[in-house]
This record gives sequence, C-alpha cells and structure tokens, in this order.
Amino acid sequence: MTVLAEGFNAFETKKSPEGTVKYLGSPQDVIKLLSSGKLADHILLVRGGTTTFLSPALSMGAIGIITMSGAPESHLGILSREFQTPCVMTAHLTSSDSRYIVGDADESHFEEMAAQLEGKKVRLDVTDSEVGRVVLVD
Amino acid sequence: MTIETEVSNRASYKDRYRDEDDGLRFQDLEFVGNFTGLPPLKDGILGDKVQKERATTKVLERVTNEDALKDQFTVPELNDLNNYLAWNVWDVLVMRATEGVSGMIPRQEYEILAFMHQFYRWPEFLRMTTDEVGAQGVMDIGAQSRREIGTKVNGVHDWSIGAVGFGMGRCGLLALDAIKPNDYVEESNEILKFMQRVLVGKRQDGYMLNSQDRYRAQIHDKDFLQTIIDQIEPLEEGSPKHDQFTRFNAAAELLAFLDHFDCRLGLGDTGPYELPNGNIVIIRDLFVNEEEYHWSDVCGDAGLPHVYTLAIEIDPNAMGLQEIRVNDISTTFTRPKNYIPAIVGGAVFAREKWDTPMANIQTIKISDLPEQLGKVQQATLKLYTKMSKMSKRELIWAGHDVYYQGMILPHLRRAGTWDKAVQDLQLKEVDQRIANYYYDIQKRGFAQETVPQKIFSGSGYLPFGADADIRNSKASWLF
Repeated sequence: MTVLAEGFNAFETKKSPEGTVKYLGSPQDVIKLLSSGKLADHILLVRGGTTTFLSPALSMGAIGIITMSGAPESHLGILSREFQTPCVMTAHLTSSDSRYIVGDADESHFEEMAAQLEGKKVRLDVTDSEVGRVVLVD
Repeated sequence: MTIETEVSNRASYKDRYRDEDDGLRFQDLEFVGNFTGLPPLKDGILGDKVQKERATTKVLERVTNEDALKDQFTVPELNDLNNYLAWNVWDVLVMRATEGVSGMIPRQEYEILAFMHQFYRWPEFLRMTTDEVGAQGVMDIGAQSRREIGTKVNGVHDWSIGAVGFGMGRCGLLALDAIKPNDYVEESNEILKFMQRVLVGKRQDGYMLNSQDRYRAQIHDKDFLQTIIDQIEPLEEGSPKHDQFTRFNAAAELLAFLDHFDCRLGLGDTGPYELPNGNIVIIRDLFVNEEEYHWSDVCGDAGLPHVYTLAIEIDPNAMGLQEIRVNDISTTFTRPKNYIPAIVGGAVFAREKWDTPMANIQTIKISDLPEQLGKVQQATLKLYTKMSKMSKRELIWAGHDVYYQGMILPHLRRAGTWDKAVQDLQLKEVDQRIANYYYDIQKRGFAQETVPQKIFSGSGYLPFGADADIRNSKASWLF
C-alpha cells in the first residue's frame, strides 16, 4: 500500500472512495466539473477548508475530498461529516517535508501538492479517528 | 428507537457532567492570553474550570437576574469577561482558523472590518434598544427563545454580541493602534450588558454561555420541547428514510452556510436533551433564506422558508458517545466525531418567516423531504453562481453586512427597534473610519495574519488598565 499523503481525518467511516484526483482552483473549475457530469469519478483536491467553495459539488454528491488546509472543526470538515463524504484535511505529501503553516503558507507548498496528486488514481482510507490517508491505487 | 450495542461500546458522555470531571481534550493546542506566567489553558470543560478559578470577581459564576439588570459591570468584571471570551473564542474557533483561503469569499477581510465596525457602532443601537424596551425587556428577548424554534435569537448570535462585537472588535482596533486599552470602557459595558441580559434571560440558570455549563444548551421549556419531540419519526441506519433525512440535513446546512457567506450565523443547535429511552435530541435550526439579504432572492424564488428546524435523535450507545459539546457558536461536536450513523429518529419543521407564530409552524414528513431537497439544491447552485460573479469588493462588503448587521438583527427585530436603527441611526451606512480601514486591513497581512494571530493567541485582548473608568469613552486622539 503506497500512502501518497496524510492529514486530519474529518470523521471516521468505513467508506473508502476511489477516484482520480482533480484539483479545483476556482469556482469556475467547480461549475465546469459539475457540468461535465463526472463529479463521481473524482476525488476533489482543494486549498481551503471552507465550505462555500465546494458548495454545489458537496450538494450534488462529491465522493471524497482532500484539502490543503483546515481541520475537522472547519466548515468543510463539519459539512463533509454531515454529507458523510470522506475528507482528508491539511494533507501533506509523505514524500515531502513541506507542511502547511497557518498564516505563513508558502505558495510552493500548494503547487507541489497539486502537481504530485493531480491525475493520480487514489483511495481515501479514513478509518482511523485522527489520521486520514490518501492511498495510491495501482 | 434504540440500536442494540455491545457493552464495551456504551456511552460515557454523562460522566462529563460530574463536578469532578475535566472533560476530554478535543485538541492539543494551549491558550495563554493574558495569563502570562501561569500554566496555559486547555480546551473544553477544564479550560472553563481554570478560568473560573482565576477570575477576580463572581461574574463567571451563576448570576442572578438582579445582577444582570444592574446598569454597569465593574472594571474587574469587564476584565474577567474579556479574558473568558478570549479563551472561549479560541476554544471554539482555533482549529477552524486553520482553514486558510476560501477560494470564493474573502472571509478574513470581511470579518475584521465587521468586528471593528461593530465595536464602534453597536453601542448606540444596543443602548437605543435598551432605552426602548428596558433592561428587563432585553432579558425577555432572550427568554422568548425558550418557546420558539427557528429563531435567530440563539446561541451564536447572542454570543457574537460580546465575543465578536466587543472581544474581537476591540482586539482588532487595538492591533490597528486605533484605540488604547482604556478607551471606550462605557461602550464595552453597553455591549456586554446587552449580551449578558439576553443570555441570562434565555438560559435562566445564571450562566451566559454553554461552556460555563459543560457545553449544554438546554434552553427549551419542557412542555414546549415535548411538542417537538412528539413529531419525531423513527429512522433506521441504511434505510431510505434515514438517507433522506441525513441528506436533507447536510444540504440545508450547506445552503445555510452559503446564504450567510460561509459563516455559522445560518445554523443553530440546542441540546442535548435526554429522552426517557436514554437517547438524546439535538434541535437544529437551518436558516436557508434570510430575506434581509438581497442575494437571498434565489432562495425565495426556490420556494424556501426562512428556516428549517430539525429534531435529531441520537442513540449515544450506538456510537459509544464519550462527550458531546453544543458550543457557543451553536455547533455540535462529538467524540467519536461521526454521529450520523447513530441517528435513530428525526423530524423536520418549516417556519415561513422569522416572525411566523409557533402555531403556524409546518411539520414536513420525512417521506416528503426529496421535494424539499430539490429546492435546496436549486437555490444552492443559483446562489453559488451569483456569488462567483461578484467582485472582491462586493463579496467583502456583503460578508461584512452578514456580520455587522446580521449579528444583532434578530434582537433588534424582536425588540421592534430594527427599523429605527436603520432609518434614524443609519445602521446600514458604513462609518467613515471603517471605510478607510478597508485598505489598511489588506496591507502587510493585517487581516490574514496579524489579527488572527492576536485573536487566537489571545495576546490581543489587552485588559482594561488600573486607571480605566467605567464612564470613559474615548477622550482623546493623540499618539
């Protein structure tokens, strides 16, 4: 089992969604994905832990989320729990020392995350109460 | 209904209500605030206990109605409240504050503008309201929520008056060097007295905040609560009805966040209320259509009511519930975190307008929720599309309005003073000082780094000094 990234687990569940990582950088990206009808094919990768950015995707049935900031107490953490959509928050690459630091986040951290995860087929392992894992699907 | 459970999984959450219990830790972080040189504070019940021990007055203990009706706090009482609110803000929000940029709404910018605006201008509106209805009338505004669902005179709004308008507003202005620690003492008293009266009037146990009562918000009168509980339908995990109920809860909660620009003013939990069968109920308001906001027209067009209220019955043994917190921003957190599979019953109600009488509340059958869900999803997509086309400036000022106007809207609306505040006192205008700060807060990371650091470390909540006078406003603009 190759763990690509780890982070806070928004809530514990036996659900283990699989999909191709899709980085969403703007509201237009979100609308475009919804219009494509392929929402259920993707694990969504976003920067923030806020809710509004992903609102329509959550509402329409996103299967799994990876965030680069935020915690289970963040709005997106709360909503992913309510939707029962597995969510790994403030994920970091297991192959990198770069970490998200509140108020002092380096742009390169986000770029590296997006570059390393985008397009990979992954599964979210969120059975642990604290740690969520992004596992590479061979 | 109760789910069969193994003995090892049985709930222990009631242990949290024993005097000697310190509660669980929900996070590893610690809070220092103004308590430099002393052991840092923890989150949860233990943090509340230590705050009470360190207080120099009795203002954090149970107070009487007569205490709340007094015109003024003493300066030491103001300092105890300042310290407590600083910790309380940290307790409920420090982990949320890790969430970074929204990608949609510049929330840190609108928040800090609103905080400071509130501190400057709310005292006038709150004083006018107190003059109109009297101190007892302000307590009655809170008390009315004991017999209503779907009201925004709720925990998060009441808390916001003091924690946000006073606490974070003053903190932001101190960080900007716009005020000094001994300025605006009288105005601080005005804000905090209003908050105390509403909350003491509502809770009627002498406390103001849920954190003072081990995170319980059991505010409803028993006979009123029973009329809600009587409508609960049993739900079985994995059944279509369970799915319909939980999906509707999530979707409506999401829209409530969105309609309030990604803040929690759109939702309000109370409870936990224990049932005779040992299960617990959370009463949850989801405000999906605030007609005061122009962007909410899409919610009205979709046929949505002002608010949906859900009664959520949870089997604590099914999830091995160890602790449940209904915190002061009206949000429920549990350990273990995932309570959704343990939901064993639910009921949904709709309140058409903010002042629709309780006798006219509609009960929505769970089998009818898919139709409601479609309306919620339609409004969500339309509102999202609308917001995605708004400029940064429009988003900031709209979010500012949700905080600055929306946090006291329910109280003034109930008091009948909202229109007067808008028309006579120009509540909806932007104070010139705040308009100027619009640019200042976006420089040198003030909104995104300086203020969050001051707020969440607690270092920005400077105490009132020994020379502070309860009658003092701002006497000078010097250095």
